[in-house]
Amino acid sequence: RIHEVRVRGGNKKFRAMRLDTGTFSWGSEAISRKARVVAVVYNASNNELVRTNTLVKGAIVQIDATPFRQWYENHYAQILGKKKRLSEEEAAESPANKQRSRHLQRTVAARKGNVEQALDEQFVSGRLYAIISSRPGQSGRCDGYILEGKELDFYVRKIRSKK
Amino acid sequence: MSEQTERSFQKQEAVFLNAKSVSKKNNRWYKDIGLGFKTPAEAIEGTYIDKKCPFTGNVSIRGRILSGVVVSTKMKRTIIIRRDYLHFIPKYQRYEKRHKNLAAHLSPAFIGVEAGDNVTVGQCRPLSKTVRFNVIKHQKKVVKGSKQFQKF
Repeated sequence: RIHEVRVRGGNKKFRAMRLDTGTFSWGSEAISRKARVVAVVYNASNNELVRTNTLVKGAIVQIDATPFRQWYENHYAQILGKKKRLSEEEAAESPANKQRSRHLQRTVAARKGNVEQALDEQFVSGRLYAIISSRPGQSGRCDGYILEGKELDFYVRKIRSKK
Repeated sequence: MSEQTERSFQKQEAVFLNAKSVSKKNNRWYKDIGLGFKTPAEAIEGTYIDKKCPFTGNVSIRGRILSGVVVSTKMKRTIIIRRDYLHFIPKYQRYEKRHKNLAAHLSPAFIGVEAGDNVTVGQCRPLSKTVRFNVIKHQKKVVKGSKQFQKF
């Protein structure tokens, strides 16, 4: 649900009241995908906002990992989330080894994908940590980027110390 | 590592930390503020994160450039400056002393700022309720008769 507000100068602001999806970017791979927002996990300003699942800029959320996993497996022909491979050998094979033309096969083989350990583990559970970088109360959108590297370590530590 | 003292992750907006190819070890963004002011070495080499710093943060210096004497440095990253001036009374054709205090943001690039030092401040956008200026140059107080060389 998004309300339109008339503001100074006759312009519009879009006040988001309820949102369930947003476009999130995977910085190191330089792609963005529309993903479902699952839950708010950490807010540096106020714990109340975590309990009530309020989406604000700078809030850490968990998003659905499937769009990113699908892109990765199509692009690099490698499987993410090592543990899953043991259980679903047959099903997981198809996106990684689907029918490709010879030209495509060569370009795919030339690409090397490596994901850091902490991110790989998140793919196992199907949920990624991301931070919201848009302002949902102003633009009506919930966009952000996936946490990686030092930021990811920082926030994971904060979340763990809370529990 | 020690600059992460707040509850959210402190980083420079302009720097992307997670690029796959590590270009250089210290990925730091800084700028030249213009008007002939030199950006201090500490701003380029240091590791602090300050979004209100004129050299490594998101503020621009424009408008007035003033100077004054530092009165207190007790606030976190901001100082109070005292500007003295003489006001002319036409009836008596004499002057009287007046002063105004000014709150200015002090970047961590300037180390060793104490009460009594001379400081040049530049106008920027409002950073808080009373702070509209940012320290851009710092000259230590010259102790008369001391044999030590003070940088002017």
